[in-house]
Amino acid sequence: MGSDDGPPALSAAEALSAYTVMVQARAVDDRLWQLSRQGRAHFVITSAGHEATQVGMALAIRAGHDYVVPYYRDMALVLALGQTPRDLLLHAMGRAADPASGGRQMYGHFSSRARRIVSGSSSVGSHLVHAVGLAFALRIGGERDTAVVTSFGEGATAEGAWHEALTIAGIQRLPVVFVCESNQYAISMPHHAEVPVADVALKAAGYGMPGEVVDGNDLRAVALAMRRAMARARADGGPTLLECKTYRLRPHSNADDDRRYRAAAEVDAWRARDPIGRFGEVLVREYGVAPAVLAQIAGQARAEVDQATLDADAAPAPHPATIADHVFGTVAGAAPRSEDQRHA
Amino acid sequence: MTTTEQTLLEAIRGAMHDALAWDARVVVLGEDVAVKGGVFLATDGLLERFGALRVIDMPIAEAGIVGVAIGMALHGLRPVAEIQFADYLYPAIDQILNEAARMRYRSNGDWNCPLVIRAPFGGGIHGALYHSQSVEALFTSTPGLKVVVPATPHDARGLLLAAIADPDPVLFLEHKRLYRTLRGPVATGQGATVPLGVAACRRPGRDVSIITYGAMVHESLRAADALAHEGVDLEVIDLRTLVPLDRDAVLATVRRTGRALIVSEDNLTGGFAGEIAAVIAEHGFADLDAPVRRLAAPDVPAVPFSETLEDAFMVSAAKIMTAARELARY
Repeated sequence: MGSDDGPPALSAAEALSAYTVMVQARAVDDRLWQLSRQGRAHFVITSAGHEATQVGMALAIRAGHDYVVPYYRDMALVLALGQTPRDLLLHAMGRAADPASGGRQMYGHFSSRARRIVSGSSSVGSHLVHAVGLAFALRIGGERDTAVVTSFGEGATAEGAWHEALTIAGIQRLPVVFVCESNQYAISMPHHAEVPVADVALKAAGYGMPGEVVDGNDLRAVALAMRRAMARARADGGPTLLECKTYRLRPHSNADDDRRYRAAAEVDAWRARDPIGRFGEVLVREYGVAPAVLAQIAGQARAEVDQATLDADAAPAPHPATIADHVFGTVAGAAPRSEDQRHA
Repeated sequence: MTTTEQTLLEAIRGAMHDALAWDARVVVLGEDVAVKGGVFLATDGLLERFGALRVIDMPIAEAGIVGVAIGMALHGLRPVAEIQFADYLYPAIDQILNEAARMRYRSNGDWNCPLVIRAPFGGGIHGALYHSQSVEALFTSTPGLKVVVPATPHDARGLLLAAIADPDPVLFLEHKRLYRTLRGPVATGQGATVPLGVAACRRPGRDVSIITYGAMVHESLRAADALAHEGVDLEVIDLRTLVPLDRDAVLATVRRTGRALIVSEDNLTGGFAGEIAAVIAEHGFADLDAPVRRLAAPDVPAVPFSETLEDAFMVSAAKIMTAARELARY
């Protein structure tokens, strides 16, 4: 397990940039909950607490080159891959310019083909097999030096599709890194009620791949472990199951009341270990960053999110006449049979 | 363009062979498809010709097979996945309907999923409950997925090539009873595709329109030949694809005869025959001289094993004759 006490894993520039994204992600998350309470965002799902895991993952990913098949909690990850607060607010407010879905999917279904961020559904665990298929396609095409990352909560590991994905990746030794953002609860269900072993990483043995546990609130530990796993994948060394132990600092979604299943003292204890504050301390202590710089980063993030909110608010909603767009594509060389296409 | 005599199975195998040869993006995957060549030998010889990177044996994991095909399609390949029997599409339904069918729509056209899922379906082969089902109605109600059911060797080849070239997911249902029992002329060559969404009139007639697909096309043609001796002239329409549906062909045949008998091997309730009946009721009512009639399998959970029970389940030429005779007299 890597730790904050280990050797410096990141350059000063990487560390500062990673911190900036973490702060930006939390500012977006804060804003989404505000908008939800104001009735301006119909659905919010939190990423708060997962920032070190997600931004740490991104440090090992070549954005737009490696494929990323995320799940609904990966907002900090997609920010780190180049999406903007504006993209996310357009998505949350269901605007026509929402790059993920043009206002079709509820918040948390991140997508961008240009960035190789793959569109997902809400069916838990169903996306891992897509990651395996992408990795298979890379192998078929002889595209070495490219890998696929997919992420999920520990609750997803009970799903059949999860098992099938790891089975196939293990048999074929495909270049996929499976990242479990293990936050100890699947909505209300604690780890022991969803996973029969103490660590999800232990399951890796059954699929013929290495499993590793890291402190998911330690950005550098995640980055180091991810870099090892990605290097293995790129060198045709097969898949890895990486479990990042973390904690969700807010309810699952705006429709959830976590006081029904989590003790306040437990949540408070994890708030004290907030990964953003923790990495801020590392920046000050080890990288010599002045606290004023951290305050400036926070101020910039808030201003950026304010502007993004104004932009998204002013952006048009999708026109009702577009409801039947993109059911099917255009068949090359076919005579137009628009009636069938529309009504099929 | 040459024409050769082939069975339905040979036509399907030939289409996959040629698609693999012509297009480097095409791959075939499924259970037992490589070394064994498929349980029906639909993929026989493809591994030897195209190698293990393009003809891929997969574990018994139907959701995994379809999900992996989705991932391949997202990267630009043209996967052709085989599900060994249509009865085992159920474990993959989340992948087919929630993922493949909705990918283009949910990403506002950013991603698409050009994949084909082939599956043998249908009864009359002593396959019992779990090797005989007709499952098309489970899939025709989710826009975003095309559903194809060829009835002749020529169409099997041409429609499969069109399905592989299509930019969206296609479920390709092959009636296993026709695999080796049906032979016919097949036009080969790269241009010989059959477009999706266009029905075929297999037999013109004046008195009653039979609208059907799959193996029931041939039962209907047998019934039509027999009834011709009684002076009842049946028209037989082969839908060929259920989604997109050729509504024009359905309504045109009803205009010609004024009587519609929809024949399906699936259960009556909730089957695709009901959708055809609804289209006629809504758009062809003024052309009807008799009520729309559906002839389908009884509403039992699946095809039973014993021959007497299986015969009682299956729609046959004799049953079609009885229904068509009644409708002609109405």
